[in-house]
Amino acid sequence: MFLKKYKTVIFVVAILAISLILLSYNLKHETGTGLVKKVVLEAAAPVHNILILSVKSVSNAWLRYVFLVGLEHDNRDLKKKIDELKAELILYQEGYLEAQRLKKLLLLKDSYNYHFISAQVIAKEPAALSRTIMINKGSAHGLKAGMPVIAPPGLVGRLTDVSWHVSKVLLLIDESSNIDVFLQRTRTQGIIRGAGSRGCILQYISKTQDVKEGETVLSSGIGGVFPKGLLAGVISRVDRQDAGLFLKINITPFVDFSKLEEVLVLADQEEGN
Amino acid sequence: MVYYLLLPFLSILLVVLQTSIADILFSGRLILEISLIVVIYAGFRFDLVKGLILAFILGFVYDCLSGSVLGLFTFIYMVIFLCSFFVSIMFSTEKLYFIALFSLICSFLKEILVILFYNLTYGLVIVKKTSLIFPLQAVLISLLAVLFFYFVHRTEGFLYGKAFQSTERARTGRLSEET
Repeated sequence: MFLKKYKTVIFVVAILAISLILLSYNLKHETGTGLVKKVVLEAAAPVHNILILSVKSVSNAWLRYVFLVGLEHDNRDLKKKIDELKAELILYQEGYLEAQRLKKLLLLKDSYNYHFISAQVIAKEPAALSRTIMINKGSAHGLKAGMPVIAPPGLVGRLTDVSWHVSKVLLLIDESSNIDVFLQRTRTQGIIRGAGSRGCILQYISKTQDVKEGETVLSSGIGGVFPKGLLAGVISRVDRQDAGLFLKINITPFVDFSKLEEVLVLADQEEGN
Repeated sequence: MVYYLLLPFLSILLVVLQTSIADILFSGRLILEISLIVVIYAGFRFDLVKGLILAFILGFVYDCLSGSVLGLFTFIYMVIFLCSFFVSIMFSTEKLYFIALFSLICSFLKEILVILFYNLTYGLVIVKKTSLIFPLQAVLISLLAVLFFYFVHRTEGFLYGKAFQSTERARTGRLSEET
């Protein structure tokens, strides 16, 4: 009867007593890892492992995400760097090509005892009728109309209009251009006239002359405009069928006018030479 | 019966979970003692026998896994359960500020009991070392308790349509009359 009435109180007291006995027993004996503790630890191990695995996988995924975000940033930076380097490389290549062209100009300069004024091509005449280019030097730099203009490997034309800081160059291939020339092999003289897109035509060479394709044509120096020995072009075709006294000879200029960027203007002859 | 069978496994799961989470969040400096909040919750809502067994098992598992002297947390958790149980009979335990305050007091009580135990048995003075951590942990527990009670209350409302109350306690307890 008593037990039934106070069973809850007895239970509370008993369970409290058990915990205190457990505590004091463990304090006194230091039992270490008991059987029940072992069971609890064994049961906790898989839960712990699962938790650690899931935490690890989440953490790895997060780290990977952070790494990928970093990688994307790096990638963007590297692409930017590549673009910068590409631009720099193009600049260097351009500089190298310019140096090569200027080197050729200098070589040409060394071949003649003239005072040279170098100039850059700033415009090309688009009109089909006249074949001219504009250069960035003018009378302020000592240029005068009629001065010959050369570029590697030879003749370009002559100055027609000279302003203070800009000049116009009449190209060799312009139809109004006439230059006295001779053939290098046979020393036969003639007049080279511009023929537009077809290049030039060599005139006034008699049919009796020995003229062959591939021969080099040089300026003769007659007329006083162009110095003697400038490379004008090479014979590309000789036509003997045409009726008349003279041969019809086509000349391909040495200079590629479409790629002209720098030219030399032959000013006065250097003193002492 | 299912409750008593599942209790040890759920206790292990809870203790392992709280230790792991605390390890991740605070690198072992603080402990997220959700088990203590569960004991307080049991004191407020469960009947005496059921709750006391829960406190016993939870404390025992905590002792086993935390490496403290076996029986220390078993005893402390039971004391806290009994305190909660008697407080819930005397006061209304529905208000969140009351839960926060009571959890804070319980957390301090637990810490005091631990300090006293180590001082009396081993002569260790751990007050200086833990003077900053204990209040911080107590505040953390009180905040967590509020969250825990709130979510449990919502879940109970969702599952049963009203807050859960042990049947035996619902018949006799003062709390049941209020809720």
